[in-house]
Amino acid sequence: MYILKLFRILFFGSKVTEERSVFTSTDESLETAGTELKQIIGSLYGGKSLRIRAVDGGSTNAEEIELTALNNAYYDIERFGLSFVASPRHADMLFVTGPVTRNLERAVKTTYEAAPQPCIVVAVGDGACTGGIWKDSYAVVGAVENVIPVHIKIPGDPPSPTDMLKALSCALKKHS
Amino acid sequence: MIMVITLIIQVVLVLLIAPFVSGLVVWFKARFQGRQGASPLLVYYALLTTLKKEHVISASRSWVFRLVPFMVLGVAVFLALTLPLVFSDSGISQVDLFVLAGVLALSSVFLVLGGLDAATAFGGMGASREMTLAALIEPAVLTTFAAFATVAESTSVQEIFGQGMSAWSHPALLLSFGALILITLAENARYPIDNPATHLELTMVHEAMVLEYSGPYLAMLEYASSIKLTVFLLILGNLVWAKPEGAFDPMTIGLAVGGVLATVVVGSFALGLLESSIAKMRFFRMQEYMSIAFFLALFGLILTLVV
Amino acid sequence: MLWLSEHMLFASLLFTSLSGVVALSGRSLLFHKLSQVSLAVSGVLGLIASFKIFLAPETGLQILLEFAEFFPVFQLDLFGAIFFSLVSLVSVLCAVYAGSYLRSYQETYHLPSLNALVAAFVLGMQIVILSQTPLAFMTGWEVMSIASFFLVMSDRSQDSIRAALLYLIMTHLGAAAILAGFLFLAQGSLFTDFSTLASMARIVPSWVLWTCFGLFFFGFGSKAGLVPFHVWLPEAHPAAPSHISAFMSGVMLKVSIYGFLRVLLFILPPIGTSASLIILGFGLLSALFGVLYAVVDRDFKRTLAFSSIENIGLIFTMIGVAFFASSVGLVGLYEVAIVASVFFAISHAIFKTGLFLVSGVVVRAVHSRNLEKMGGLAKPLPAFSVFFCVLALAAASLPPFGSFFGEWMFFQGLLQNVSSTSVLVSAVLIFTFALVVLVGGLAIFAMVKLFALSMLAEPRSAHAREVHELPSSGELFSVGVCALAIFALGLYAPTVLTLIGGGAMTASPRELSVGSATIQPSLILWLLLGSVVLVWVGRRLTSRVKHEREYHGWDCGQPIDASMEYTATAFSAPIRFFFRLILRTKKQIATQPVVASNPWIVSHTSTLNMRSIWMDFGYVPVGRFLLGVAEQVKKVQSGNIRFYLFLIFATIILTLWIAL
Repeated sequence: MYILKLFRILFFGSKVTEERSVFTSTDESLETAGTELKQIIGSLYGGKSLRIRAVDGGSTNAEEIELTALNNAYYDIERFGLSFVASPRHADMLFVTGPVTRNLERAVKTTYEAAPQPCIVVAVGDGACTGGIWKDSYAVVGAVENVIPVHIKIPGDPPSPTDMLKALSCALKKHS
Repeated sequence: MIMVITLIIQVVLVLLIAPFVSGLVVWFKARFQGRQGASPLLVYYALLTTLKKEHVISASRSWVFRLVPFMVLGVAVFLALTLPLVFSDSGISQVDLFVLAGVLALSSVFLVLGGLDAATAFGGMGASREMTLAALIEPAVLTTFAAFATVAESTSVQEIFGQGMSAWSHPALLLSFGALILITLAENARYPIDNPATHLELTMVHEAMVLEYSGPYLAMLEYASSIKLTVFLLILGNLVWAKPEGAFDPMTIGLAVGGVLATVVVGSFALGLLESSIAKMRFFRMQEYMSIAFFLALFGLILTLVV
Repeated sequence: MLWLSEHMLFASLLFTSLSGVVALSGRSLLFHKLSQVSLAVSGVLGLIASFKIFLAPETGLQILLEFAEFFPVFQLDLFGAIFFSLVSLVSVLCAVYAGSYLRSYQETYHLPSLNALVAAFVLGMQIVILSQTPLAFMTGWEVMSIASFFLVMSDRSQDSIRAALLYLIMTHLGAAAILAGFLFLAQGSLFTDFSTLASMARIVPSWVLWTCFGLFFFGFGSKAGLVPFHVWLPEAHPAAPSHISAFMSGVMLKVSIYGFLRVLLFILPPIGTSASLIILGFGLLSALFGVLYAVVDRDFKRTLAFSSIENIGLIFTMIGVAFFASSVGLVGLYEVAIVASVFFAISHAIFKTGLFLVSGVVVRAVHSRNLEKMGGLAKPLPAFSVFFCVLALAAASLPPFGSFFGEWMFFQGLLQNVSSTSVLVSAVLIFTFALVVLVGGLAIFAMVKLFALSMLAEPRSAHAREVHELPSSGELFSVGVCALAIFALGLYAPTVLTLIGGGAMTASPRELSVGSATIQPSLILWLLLGSVVLVWVGRRLTSRVKHEREYHGWDCGQPIDASMEYTATAFSAPIRFFFRLILRTKKQIATQPVVASNPWIVSHTSTLNMRSIWMDFGYVPVGRFLLGVAEQVKKVQSGNIRFYLFLIFATIILTLWIAL
C-alpha cells in the first residue's frame, strides 16, 4: 500500500515549500514593462503580436537560459503578445545572442536573410552588443552588428528577463 | 432562400471564430499550467501581422509550393461550407461521408507536397510523418463514418451530423465517438500525435511542413488548421447535443450560435485539459494509436449490426 | 449505318495489321511514323465503332469471316465494346506518344520489329475482345502474350531477358490453364462458340465446373497479376519501353479482367458463395500486398507496377463481392459492384496508362528508374508535372477524379447492404470494407511518394539537375489527354455509366445514385473549386503584399544540399517499420575494420533488403525442386540415338494406349 502512503504525504503531509503568496506576488517592474510593450506591439505593424526567433551566435548559454525563462510560468511573455517560433520564416523579430563566432557567422547571416521583412534584430547580452570579453579575439567576428544590421541592443551578461522586456519596450517606444 | 441565409451565417460564423478557437485552446492550456497565458484573441493579431509581411520563398520550390496554401485553406472553407455545423440543415446535402474523408485526405496530401517541395530535411521529415498518419488514419475515418452511416441509414453528412443524432442514442456509436475523438486529435495534429507548440524540429509533424511558409501563405495555412480544428470540434459537439429545432427566426439563430460558441468553449477546454495532462507519443508508437482508432471504429461498426 | 460501323471495326483491325506491316518495311523514321499513324487511325476507328455500340447497345457488331473448316464469329457486344474502347483509346495515346518517344531510343531498340510487335500485341488484344469462340480467343490471347514477351525484352539487356522469361513462363502457365478450362468445359472441342459453351456448362457436373473455375481463375488471375501469381508483373512492366508498359498495365490487365468477367458472366453458370469468396480473398490479398510494396519500392516503374497489382486486386475484390452478393441474393449489391468494378477498370486504364507514359519521360530525363536519383523535375517540366499531379491524385482515388467515384459506388453498395440478416454476409462485407479502406489510405501514400519524390524539391542527381530531354508535344499531348480524361471521367461519371449500361446507377443525367444515396460529381467539383477561388479572392482582399523574395530553404544556418533531402527510402520508412511483419524488410549493417591494428577504425555498410516473401517461400523452393528433378531426369540423356528412338517409340505407344 505504498501508493496510499504516497497520496497521504502528497495531500495531507506537511508542506516544506514556500507559501503560495510568495509566488502570487507580482513583479511590478516586469508587469509595467510588459504592459507597455504590449501597447507598443499593438501599434507596431498594425498587429498586436510579435513572434520571436532566437539565434545563438556562439553565446555561453547564459542568455539562452534567460530567454527560456521568458517562457516560464513566472515571466510568461505570451500574455504580452510575444511568442517564440521555430522558423525565421515565421518571425517578426530576431534575438541574437553571443559574440558571433566565425563558425556561426553564416548561420546568423542566413537567419536574417531567411526572415521576412520587416524584421527587428535584437542583440541580447554583452557578447552580442559589443563582443564582450571575447572582443577582438581571433575566433569571433565580434558584435552582431558586424554581421547584420542591429536595431536594438540589450546589454547585460546576461540581461535578466525583466531587463529584456524593459529594454525592448524602451527601444520600441523610441522607434515608434 | 433560408438555405442561403443559413449557409452564409454558418460560413461567416465558422470562419470568424476559427482563430478564437485556436487561441482559446492555448489560453486554456496556459491556465492549466498556472500561467496567465496570451489572450485568446492573439491568434487574430498574429494572422493580421503575418498578412502584412513579405513572402520569403524557398528557391527550390515549384508551382506546387504556391498552390498548397490555396488548396489547404480551400478544403477548410469547403468543410465550413458543406457540413451542417451551425444549423441542423445548413450545409450541402450532396456531400457525403466519403467525400468528406476524401477531401480531408486531399488537404493532407497537399500539405505534404508543400512540405517536400521546399527541399529541406525537416520539411521532408514532417511530410513523411504526416503522410504516414494520413494514410493510416484514413481507414479509421472511413470506418467510423461507416458506423454512423449504418445507424443513420444514410451517408449524408446532414443526416448524421446535423439532425440530432446523438452519440448516446446507440451503444455502438459510443465506440465510434471514441474513435472520432482519436481521429480529431490526429487530423488536427494535437497531443498525443503531435505537439502544436513545439520548437524542436525533430518532434514536429504538422509544424515541420509549414516551416518554409512565410507572410500571407503562412497566415493561410495557420488559418486553415484553425478552421479544421473548429469544424472537428463542432462535429463532435453535434454528436453530443442536438441542435435547436424550429422555425427560422432570431430565437433559433441565437440558440444555434450560442450552441456553437458553447461547443467550442467546452471543446477547447477539454483539449487544453488533455494536452496538459498527457505526454506526446513517440512517433514509432503511432501504429498503436492508429490501430486503436481503427479497431475502435471497426468494433463500433460491427456493434451497429449486432445491437 | 450499321454496315458502316462493321466496316469501321474491320478497318480498325486492318489498320492495326497495316501498322505492323508498314513498320517492317524499313528502318527509316518515315516508316516508324507511318506505323504509328496507322495504329492511331486504327484506335480512332475502334473508338468510333465502340461508341456506336454505346449509343445503340442492342445492336452488336459482327464480322463474319468464313474459313474452310469453321466459323469463328467475331462479335462486339456492349460488354466487349467497353474494353474495346479502352484498347482503342490507349492505342491512340500510345501511338502519338511513341511517335516521338521512340525517336530518342533509336539506338536501344530495333524500331521496325518493336513497332510490328506492338501492332501484333494490339491486334491480339482486339481479337481477344472480339472473339466469340474459345479458339479465336486463345489465338488472340497467344498473339498478345508472345508479342508482349518479345516487347518486354526489347532492350535486350540481361535484366529484361530474365524478366521476359519469367513472364513467358507465368503467362503460358496461365494460358495453358485457360485453354484447359475451355477444353474441359467443351469436352475437347475448341470450335464451339461461347453461347453453346454456356449451354453446355449448365449441364456438366459440379466438379467439372469447379475445375474449370479454378483453371480460369488461375489463368486470368496470373495474367492480371493477382498475388501470389504476380511475381512476373513487377519485373516485366518496368523492363519494357514505357509505352509498352502503358499498354501492358493499362489494357492488357484489363483484357484479362475482360476474359474473366466474360467467362463468369456469359459462360459459367452463376458461381456459388465459396467460389466468389475465393475471388474476394485473392483480390484483397493482392490489394494489400500490392499497395504495401508500392509504398516501399524505390523504383519508379516498379512502384507503378505494384500499384497496378493493388488496383487489379481492388477490381477482383469488387468482382468477388458482386458474385458473393448474387449468390446470397443481394441483387442490388451485385449490380453496384459489377458496375463499380468495370468503372474502376476504366479509370485504372486511363490513369495507369497516363502514369506509365509519364514514367517514360521521367526515366528518359533522369537516365534512371531509381526514385532516389530524381527530384526537382517540376521546374523544367511545369505543364507535364501538372498532368502528373492530376494522374497521381486520381491514382490515389481522391475526389474529384473518376477513380474516386468508382470507389464511392462500391463503398455505398457495401455499406447499404452491411446490415443484412445473415452473419456471414455482414462479416464478409465489413471485412472487405475494412481492408479496402486500409488499402485506400496506403495507396495515397504510394502515389504521393511517386509524385513528390520525382517532381519536387532539389534534384538528387546530376541528370535530374540538367534535364536535356524535355517532353515533346506528342508526349505531352498523350499525358495531358490521360489527365483530362480521368478528370472528365469524374465530372461526367453519370454519363459514362449510362453509356456502359450502368444506367441504374444514375439518378439524373448529372447524379450518381446507389440505393438511397445520390451524389453529383459536378457539384462536388464546383464546390471545391469555388472554395479555392473564394480563398484566392480573400487573399487578394486582405493582403496587399506583392513583394516576394527568393531565398534558399531554411537550413538552420548550415548549408544544405540535395543529399540532405528526404529520400524515397526515408519517406516510406514509417510504413516499412509499421508493417515490418508483413514486408519482412531486412536491414543489415556490415562492419569491416579498415586497419588491422586498430579495432576502432571501421567502415560501416548498411543495406536495406527488400525481400519478397512470395519469391522466398513460394517460387524459389518450387524452382529449386524443379531443377532437382531435372537433374535426375538428365541422367536419361545418354547421347545414344537408339535410346532416344526407343523413348519416342515408348511415348507413342503410351499415348496411343491412353487415347484409345
